[in-house]
Amino acid sequence: MRRKARTVAAVRLLLVAIAACLLSLAATHARAQTPSVEYAVKATYLYKFAPFVEWPAGAFEPSDPLVICVVGNDPVADLVDEAVKGQAALGHPIEVMHPGASSPDARCHILYVALRGAAAASLLERVRGKPVLTVTDAANEPRATGIVNFVVQDNRVRFEIDLRAAAENHLVISSKLLNLASRVSPKP
Amino acid sequence: MIQERRTEELHGVLGMERRNFMPFVAAAGVLLLLLAGAVIVLYNEQTYREAKTQQVEAQSRILASTVSAALAFDDRKAAHEYVKALAVDPQIQTAAVYGPQGQLFASYSRSADVALPAKISEAAPTPTGEQLVVTTPVRQGMAPLGTVYLQTTIDPISRRFERYAVLALLVTMASLIFVMLGVAQRQLAAANERLRRQGHDLVDANEKLRAQIEQRETAEAALRQVQKMEAMGQLTGGIAHDFNNLLQVIIGSLEVLQRRQQVVGDDAKRTIAAAVRGAERAATLTQRLLAFARRQPLNPKPIDVNKLVTGMSELLHRTLGESITIETVLAGGIWRVNADANQLENALLNLAVNARDAMDKGGKLTIETANTHLDEAYAHTNEIDPGQYVLIAVSDTGAGMPGDVLSKAFEPFFTTKDVGKGSGLGLSQVYGFIKQSEGHAKIYSEPGEGTTIKLYLPRFMASSEATDLPLEACGLPAGQSDRLVLVVEDDADVRAHAVGILNELGYSVLEAADGAAALQALDAHPGIKLLFTDVGLPGGLNGRQLADEARRRCPNLLVLYTTGYARNAIVHQGRLDPGVDLITKPFTFAALATKVNAVFDGREGSHRASAL
Repeated sequence: MRRKARTVAAVRLLLVAIAACLLSLAATHARAQTPSVEYAVKATYLYKFAPFVEWPAGAFEPSDPLVICVVGNDPVADLVDEAVKGQAALGHPIEVMHPGASSPDARCHILYVALRGAAAASLLERVRGKPVLTVTDAANEPRATGIVNFVVQDNRVRFEIDLRAAAENHLVISSKLLNLASRVSPKP
Repeated sequence: MIQERRTEELHGVLGMERRNFMPFVAAAGVLLLLLAGAVIVLYNEQTYREAKTQQVEAQSRILASTVSAALAFDDRKAAHEYVKALAVDPQIQTAAVYGPQGQLFASYSRSADVALPAKISEAAPTPTGEQLVVTTPVRQGMAPLGTVYLQTTIDPISRRFERYAVLALLVTMASLIFVMLGVAQRQLAAANERLRRQGHDLVDANEKLRAQIEQRETAEAALRQVQKMEAMGQLTGGIAHDFNNLLQVIIGSLEVLQRRQQVVGDDAKRTIAAAVRGAERAATLTQRLLAFARRQPLNPKPIDVNKLVTGMSELLHRTLGESITIETVLAGGIWRVNADANQLENALLNLAVNARDAMDKGGKLTIETANTHLDEAYAHTNEIDPGQYVLIAVSDTGAGMPGDVLSKAFEPFFTTKDVGKGSGLGLSQVYGFIKQSEGHAKIYSEPGEGTTIKLYLPRFMASSEATDLPLEACGLPAGQSDRLVLVVEDDADVRAHAVGILNELGYSVLEAADGAAALQALDAHPGIKLLFTDVGLPGGLNGRQLADEARRRCPNLLVLYTTGYARNAIVHQGRLDPGVDLITKPFTFAALATKVNAVFDGREGSHRASAL
């Protein structure tokens, strides 16, 4: 049963990836990326950040799953559940939660903020100092940014990294990830 | 000498081993060197490949590690930069990154003609020829993100072998040294062998030389002995001759006195008899001296030695006494010898007497006869002719002789007997007689072991019968006055003595002092029937020449020689010519009477013989 489920998940991921690839190829040619693909990519990136981030000791119990919390509603938030299905990160299964904006789950390891304005800022303020990788989207709210902030450049999904915010949340970001970031602030 | 030889053998053995082993050792050394070189090359090659593989794997892993984020976040640009960074390694031909589904993500190729697999499946690094392909999975955390593919060239074989050139050079040089060592060793061994052989030759030559020296020394010693004996012989011969003349006078005078019985009394008779005995003993001694000097006149006849020894047995028994047993071992079919039977008996008797004196407490005397052959070597050493000889060996079981006595045993007057017991002339007589008979005498003796004296007499080859004609004296045959005798003698006393005897016997006698006078007398008195002449005469003609001349003038003339010793004039090689009558000085009245009568009676035979 499990194997069958995993196989199904793998096939699904494969399809998504192929689709992404084909789309990205197409985008390269077309020099344009359709919004839906952009959201799918962002949703996929959420769990892909996990291997490049070092949480402080105690943030994970060996049996704990990696918890991705999605707060708010946007096209990305809707796709996250789909994207992480069957995936694992750092040996942990991935669990997606959709807590309310007022009470994000304390177990969140990655928090995707799909809120705008003051709500986003207050949510970000609330998890400051906790070992949570906060991810925001500049397309949603350019002014309230977390540790990682999606941007789109040359029709490609890129991200900026705020090292100070990461340090406040006791997270260490892999230099490999920093190398890929379109902007790292402050300069390391 | 033994030590040398042993060392030599040792050298030989070592040399042999070296000779046999050295080329193999050299060849084995060269082979080992080459093998070691090949092993080192193979090992280096293997090590190089492993190191290269490890290096490429490390590069691949580094790429996989750095490219993981780019792969995860689909950043081809970053990935391409990472891949391109590997271009600084000139050996990397192709570097590529494949996505999680095996699709090509980013790649770099040094040249356009390198084909990249469109998809990749993870596989072990496979070095193929001069290419090395390494693939490494890309992971971040536990998640597989893709695959890194690296293809590098390894150093071309030519460049790798450049590295081995030095090694090859070293191996070659070492091999050359080995080969040269082997060759040098071989030459050394050959030289050693030559040297050893030369050493052998030298030793052989030395041995030969030593043998020759020894042989020569032996021969010289023998020659010295012979010369010494010869010198002694001449000395004793000369003295004996003079003594004989003197004894002739003494004996003759004494006999004259004896016959004039009316003049002497009984007392004087006994004195004269004693003097005669003494003179006769002196005459016997001089006879022996002459015998040693090989100047006694011999009358050789073919004789059977076995018969002679058998005939002597009674005499020997009487001479040796009861305490000594006599054994004779006589060979059958013994050859005859041409010798003077009387002198041979004399010699054997002398030996028997010597043997008796050596065996105080009794013992055994053995007389053996045998046919023998003396070979060249023995004959040469002992200065005799090789050939067939009849051996007469006289052995005793007595005290024997030490070496120094042995070497002088044949010398005259040498004796180990007490003073007055022996003359020291016994063995000298034997030696002289045997030598004069062209034979050979040899003494073998060991102290305490007894003595053997071997007499070799040459085989007589003529076929005439052995005739023993013992000269029997039967009274004193008187002379006849019609028988005119011419006495020729240079010594006046001797001549007077001879004339006196002949006159007394009733012969008519003329006398002459030398050959010329004798010939005048012959011419003046054709009635002379007998020429009685001394062999040695002064004045140009000796006795033989005188006789020949006289016979030429009067063919029927009878001749009787007399001599103190016989020179070649009358005795060829010590032997009496056939048909020649001779009486040796000093002669007695009776001896001369018998002889002269015999000459007249044997006129027919002797005349015929001399005419031949």
